[in-house]
Amino acid sequence: MARSATVSQRRRSSTHESFLRHKGFLFLKVAVFVCVAAVAAYFFQHARPRPGGGTPLGYFLGTVGAGLIVWLALLGVRKRAVSSGHYSLKAWVSAHVYLGLSLIVIATLHTGFQFGWNVHTLAYGLMLLVIASGAIGVWAYVALPARLSENRGETTRKQMLAQIQSLDELIHEAAQGFPRDTAAIVRISLEQTDIGGGFWRRLFEDYRDCANLRALREIEAAQRTAGAHEAKALGEVAVLMRRKGDALGLARRQMHITALLEAWLFVHVPATFALLAALTVHIVSVFAYW
Amino acid sequence: MTQAITLRLITRQAGGGEIVRTRRIDSGEAMIGRAQGCDIYLPDLSVDPQHALMRVAGRNRVTIESLTGVAFQVDGKQTLRADLDAGRGQMASFGAFDLSVSEGAEDDIAVAVTRREEEHAPSPSLFSLKASLFGRRRMAWALGLTILALCLIVPLAGASLFRHLHIHPDQQWSTGPLSKAHAFLEKDCQSCHQAKFVAVRDQACLACHQAGRTPAQTLALNADLGRRGSPFIPRLISDHAGHDRLLKAMPPPPTLGGKVKGLFGKAFNHPNDRCASCHLEHTGPKGPVIEADRPIKPTLVVATTCGGCHGQLKSRLPSTGLIDTPDWKRHPDFRPLVTVSAEGPAPRIERIALTADPQEHSGLVFSHRQHLDPTGGVARMGVGLGAARGYGGALTCISCHRPTPGAGGFKPIEMERDCAACHALGFASAGGEIKLLPHGDAGKVMATLQAFYGGGSGAGAEPQRRLPGDFRPQSAAPRAANPAMASGAFRQAFSPGGTCYGCHRISWDGDGPMGVKVAKVHLASRFLPRGAFDHSVPAHKGDGLGAFNCVDCHKAKTSEHAEDLLLPGVAKCATCHGKTEHQTPAAASGQCADCHSYHKPGKATPTGQSRTFEAIFAPADGPARGIPGG
Repeated sequence: MARSATVSQRRRSSTHESFLRHKGFLFLKVAVFVCVAAVAAYFFQHARPRPGGGTPLGYFLGTVGAGLIVWLALLGVRKRAVSSGHYSLKAWVSAHVYLGLSLIVIATLHTGFQFGWNVHTLAYGLMLLVIASGAIGVWAYVALPARLSENRGETTRKQMLAQIQSLDELIHEAAQGFPRDTAAIVRISLEQTDIGGGFWRRLFEDYRDCANLRALREIEAAQRTAGAHEAKALGEVAVLMRRKGDALGLARRQMHITALLEAWLFVHVPATFALLAALTVHIVSVFAYW
Repeated sequence: MTQAITLRLITRQAGGGEIVRTRRIDSGEAMIGRAQGCDIYLPDLSVDPQHALMRVAGRNRVTIESLTGVAFQVDGKQTLRADLDAGRGQMASFGAFDLSVSEGAEDDIAVAVTRREEEHAPSPSLFSLKASLFGRRRMAWALGLTILALCLIVPLAGASLFRHLHIHPDQQWSTGPLSKAHAFLEKDCQSCHQAKFVAVRDQACLACHQAGRTPAQTLALNADLGRRGSPFIPRLISDHAGHDRLLKAMPPPPTLGGKVKGLFGKAFNHPNDRCASCHLEHTGPKGPVIEADRPIKPTLVVATTCGGCHGQLKSRLPSTGLIDTPDWKRHPDFRPLVTVSAEGPAPRIERIALTADPQEHSGLVFSHRQHLDPTGGVARMGVGLGAARGYGGALTCISCHRPTPGAGGFKPIEMERDCAACHALGFASAGGEIKLLPHGDAGKVMATLQAFYGGGSGAGAEPQRRLPGDFRPQSAAPRAANPAMASGAFRQAFSPGGTCYGCHRISWDGDGPMGVKVAKVHLASRFLPRGAFDHSVPAHKGDGLGAFNCVDCHKAKTSEHAEDLLLPGVAKCATCHGKTEHQTPAAASGQCADCHSYHKPGKATPTGQSRTFEAIFAPADGPARGIPGG
């Protein structure tokens, strides 16, 4: 009994409390404290000739920042292991978000606002890119799942694809009696329709040149000039193509929202690797030429 | 008789297995197409309704011919007509259908019709972006490794390989622009960063800045740096004190942060006693380098103040001869280098505090009061000498103490230049030419007189009493050999009233000619060699502040004896230095460096206008080169 109660409690907490609100914004409070302490130390320090990475506080903030970056990057490792309790994945993500944002303050104060065309500023820029993409990720994780579910309704992704496939079969069937030229138009829809498409197409949901749509326009044009019998057959195919268009629209909207949900990771993860490399270069070069 | 065609229509089932329907065509002709009435019915939109005709063309041979002009494939090649050999088992393809021709079991031609497997149906993974973009992980590794290679490996390994390139691979490591003085080294990181993972050491700086070179070495260094693009010639740096003494003298950092920094410095081999500990580079303006904004010199960050070491120097460095001086207000009174005795192989010089009323035993007899008296005989003589000879009135200090142009001091007193206008050395006149006694060597004086009068003893010669400048040529025929005249003139010159006697201490118990003994003379050129009082500083001359006179500081007008040391005490300096403008209009700073520069404590730190460039070399074909001021 006790075990099942614990399980249900955990399930409830994991269902109803977002990572942002974890433990009453515990990590937000920690991050704010860290930032305030860093800013205070920055303004109270007696840095000569001026604040930067080479002052005692600069070295301290640099060490803290580098440690944080490595720890934040370890989320990628940590998320592959399932555990619970105080060090649950949700706690990690919550800390990842808030402490990651606090890096903006820590690293900026570490630089002492000295920037240039060098590997040091490259590391800083990459860090900002990682944080910015991560911030978009946070927004996506908060805002998009609801839209995804709303768009999907009761249909699963598998059903969406199956529907498109079955419509293809119906169109194929209905067009069997067509002469070669109209059959060629139908083939455009059957053979050239790309359900998903590339990164940008998905991200901006831009399917104006959809093959199904092109085929439909041509079938409709052919329908206007065809005889009654032929027009009827073309009309049947056109109806099927419109239904296919609707099914495609639904799937594509799902892909668009999914793309928005995933796109940030295509920046966040590679930029993190680049950042780790640039950070290594930054540290090694500073000590190689100090 | 025409062979029959046996069609085997094969349909694959979803769960595996096949359904085979067989039909025999005896006519030897089979229509291939999408239309339902075709013998070989191929429901594929890429196949025309009546696309082609298959005909038996001989034993185990069929011909397929397109009826619509649309090609089909045979053995992977597009064709409009094909002869197929059933014995060879050839295959023709229409759209998604394959027609395999083979020998039948009943002396017929078997045509197997199969539909090729559909392409895999899209899976739900199509919804993920991964389906449309190459892997995040691959992109991540590619980016990371590229940065490591270009920004770390190449600069570490190839700095020397790429020296000739316009952009050096290790320039990307630079944390900021160099000062104007060092900007020419910006592409040569290793001129300063000589060993990797070792903080810049003094030897790198001293390669250009070490003092103590010969003039030839200095010129060669200047020329070499000029070729490399240095806009200035390097300042040559002397050590403030021996390095080990500096380390002993330096107090531990006063703050906790300083102590921690010191521990880290020690742990990471980043000591705080290097040139680069105080003279920081790469601290230029923020943002992109704008040439005009570069600082002229490396930024100076003082590691320890003067008082930091000198406040309690004796306790850390007992062997020091210096008195602890925490600040200007507690500066001890001057301890000039006083000539205790000019006798002996070398003059004996001691540091004696002014408060102990030291006596300067220069070996001369001199009264400043007498020489500066505006109404005395000296003044009359100045009038008599006239302005044309640089006099014309009562003597002033610079009548004898000649300033050194630009050096802030005075030339050493030289008898012939500074005294001889009055204290004439002439002793005879011959043919309109005045004969002068040589100065500084009694033996030469005797030799000169003997050459003039002829050798021999001077007993009996009558000394004549003379006043300085009062030259009365001998009227007797001097050329007649009269050794007694020479001896007499010699004795006269070194006796009271004689040419030498007025200024020198003379006795007759020495080993000079005729037993004469002239006390040795030592005129100090500097009494305070560790300070840098500059007489040429406008404020020290009183310019614009009511024109001070020398006698405001030096009590020369009342000094009767050469032994009087006319140096003012430190309290005199303090009447201006360390005062506020509210206290005196001549207020000046009380900074140690005003009088003691760090690298040359006997000189003042160059300040103010000298921070602008002093053009040293101005070649006609290039910009002027100078040393950076300050």
